[in-house]
Amino acid sequence: MDYLYDGTFSGFLTVVATARRAGTSPMAICRVAPDQQALFSPLVRVTTEPELAAQQGDELAAILSPAGRRLIHAAFLSAAPGVELRLWHYLELARRVGPAIGSMLTHEQVQPVWELARAVGREAHRFKGFVRFRQLAGGYHYAAIAPDYRILPLIAPHFAARFADQQWLIHDERRSEAVVYDPVPQQWLIVPLEVRAPLCDTADEQLFRSLWQCYFDRLAIAERHNPRLQQQHVPRKHRRHLPEFDKR
Amino acid sequence: MTDPGSLEEKLAILAEGAKYDISCASSGSSRRNRHGIGNAASCGICHSWTADGRCVSLLKILLTNACIYDCAYCINRRSNDTRRVILTPAEVAELTIGFYRRNFIEGLFLSTGVVRNPDYTMELLIEAIRTLRETYRFNGYIHVKVVPGADLLLVERAGRYADRVSVNMELPTREGLALLAPDKSREAIVTPMRRVGALIVQTKAERKVSRTVPPFAPAGQSTQLIVGASGENDLQIVRLSAGLYDRLAMKRVYYSAFVPVNRDNRLPAPVDTPPLLREHRLYQADWLLRYYGFAPDEILDDDRPFLDLTLDPKADWALRHLELFPVEVNRAPYEILLRVPGIGVRSAERIVRARRGGHLALDSLAKLGVVMKRARYFITARGQFAADLSPDAAGLRSRLAERPTRDRWNQPSLFDDHGRGDWRSTITGEL
Ligand code: SF4
Repeated sequence: MDYLYDGTFSGFLTVVATARRAGTSPMAICRVAPDQQALFSPLVRVTTEPELAAQQGDELAAILSPAGRRLIHAAFLSAAPGVELRLWHYLELARRVGPAIGSMLTHEQVQPVWELARAVGREAHRFKGFVRFRQLAGGYHYAAIAPDYRILPLIAPHFAARFADQQWLIHDERRSEAVVYDPVPQQWLIVPLEVRAPLCDTADEQLFRSLWQCYFDRLAIAERHNPRLQQQHVPRKHRRHLPEFDKR
Repeated sequence: MTDPGSLEEKLAILAEGAKYDISCASSGSSRRNRHGIGNAASCGICHSWTADGRCVSLLKILLTNACIYDCAYCINRRSNDTRRVILTPAEVAELTIGFYRRNFIEGLFLSTGVVRNPDYTMELLIEAIRTLRETYRFNGYIHVKVVPGADLLLVERAGRYADRVSVNMELPTREGLALLAPDKSREAIVTPMRRVGALIVQTKAERKVSRTVPPFAPAGQSTQLIVGASGENDLQIVRLSAGLYDRLAMKRVYYSAFVPVNRDNRLPAPVDTPPLLREHRLYQADWLLRYYGFAPDEILDDDRPFLDLTLDPKADWALRHLELFPVEVNRAPYEILLRVPGIGVRSAERIVRARRGGHLALDSLAKLGVVMKRARYFITARGQFAADLSPDAAGLRSRLAERPTRDRWNQPSLFDDHGRGDWRSTITGEL
C-alpha cells in the first residue's frame, strides 16, 4: 500500500494509525503523488484527522521516552526523502522492543533516524544564533531565514521564552511560512506567509545595524585571521540574512 | 583625559580594546524569563563568527579603555598614546538591549580599564549591570570582570547581578606578574577570587535550602592566563589550573596565546605567529583535568615540563601506559573508556548506553562517534583488534602525531562546560 498525505506531523500520525488499522506495512508514504503512480500497489489518500493523530500520539507516548518522541519529531522535520517510511519501521520496532530502543543506536532501523534527528537538531540549535530581527515600524520584530530543514517548530519555544515581551515573527522564506508570536496570550503559531511589499523599519533600526557591523568588524584579531574556519561556521548561504556580512 | 566621541566611535575603540580577552563562553547559566526580556540558555549559543573564526556570542566590550595602570602586555596601558573613551553605564545598557532584542548577541561581557581607582571603576560596572537587570528587566547572560584590588563588598554586589564573574590572573607566576604588571599584586587578584569562590559555594548551599536566597554568579567564575609572555612552563600552568578548579570553585580557565601589541623589552621578541599550538595543547590538557579525571602529574612532571606539541596529551599519556591497553570496549568501565585516545565524553557515554542493548562489534564503534583512526590501537571489541600495529610498536607514535592544520590550531568556539548536550558544538580540546 502507498500512502499520500499532506506533509504535516498530524497527517503522518494519521497515516500511521490508518496503516496499523489496515494491518499492513506501507510500501511508501509520500507528500506528493509519485510519478509512476500505483504501478505495483494501490495509492491511499489520507486526510489528516486531528483526533486520530492525537490518539496515535498518545499511543506512541506510552512506548517512547520523551527523548524518543523528540527524536521522531526532529527526524520528521528533516523532510528527507523516505523519512516517513523509516519512521514507520522505527515505530514498529519500538512497539516490539519497548524502551530498549533507546540504546539500540547502531541498529540499522534506528541509526538513520537518529542521524536525521541529529542533523535537524544541530541546525535548529545553530539558528537560535542565526536569527536576526529588525524592528518594523508596525511594532513587530521581523526575521527572515532559509534553513535546510523545517526547523520553525523547534526554535519557536526558544524565542518565545527569550523575547516574551516583544511581538516577533520568524519567516522561513524557503517554505513560505512563519512563526508568529504575540506577547499578550504568550503564544506562537505557524502560518503561511509571503512578503510582497518592502518592509519598513523603525527610525532606530539603521543605527543599531551599523553599530553592530562596526562592532563585528573590530572583533577579529588580524594575527589569527582564518576565513576558512569562519566559512565552516557561517556557510555563505546563510550570510545574506546576517547584517554583519552585508557588503558595505 | 577621556573623549566624548560618538557612540559608534566609542564602540569601535572599546571593542578593539576588549577583543584579546577570550573568556566569552556564554553558558552554564539558565536564567529564566517570565515577562521581561531574555534568558540564559544553559547550552551556549554562538551568534556569529569573526574573520579569525572565533565565535561571537556576547557583546564583549570595555566600559573604558582609560587605565591608571601600566601592564606591559596590554594595549590599554597608561603609557600607550591612544585615544581614550568611556561609555556611561546607561549607554552600556542601551547597547546591550538594542543588540539583544535583535538577537545579535547572547548577552554582555563587560570588562574595563581602571579609572581613578578600582572601587570607582567597579561602581560604574555595577551601575551598568544593575540598570540592565532592574530597569530593563533583562534576564540574559552577563559576565563581568572584577577589577583587581576592588573592595570585596563591591565584588559581592557585582556577583549578585552577574551570571559569571572573573578575575583575570593573566600571568601564571608571581614573578611574571611582578615583571609585567607591576601595579597589580598577586593578592589583589587572588583575594577577590577566593571571595567569589567562597560566595559561590555558600550561595549554592543556601539556595538548596531556600530558593529566595538571591543567586550569586550562577555560571561560576573563570579566569584567563596569557601563555608565552613570561617564562613559565606548562607543568606550572597545568598545576595552577588544577589548583584553581579544586580550591576556588573555578568553572573555567582560559588560555590565551600571547599576541604582542606593545613594544617593550620586558616582553619576548615578536614572532611570526602567536603560540597557538601551545595554547591548543593547554586546552586539551585542561580538558583532561576537567572531564577525563586526570591529575596534573599524570599529564606532565618535572622531567617533562612541557606538553608535546606533536601529540595530544591523551595520546601521549596512553603511549606511556601501554600496559593498560588494549581495553575491551564491551567490558571496560566508563572511566577507562575515557582514557582511550579517540574516545571522547560523548562516545564513551554512547558506548556504555549501546552495549546494554547488545555486544558491540568493531564496525559499530565509528557510528557511536569513536575516532577509529586513533582508537583502534588501544581497543578490542568482542576480543577483536582492529589495527595492524600493536600498541607497543615503535611506529605508533608517529602515526598518532597530528599534522597541524590551521583550522584545528586556531581558536575554536569557546563554548563552555556542559559537555553533555546532544547538539553541542565542538569544544576546544575535546580528544
Ligand atoms: S589593569 Fe587591565 S586595562 Fe589596565 S593596563 Fe593592566 S591589563 Fe590593561
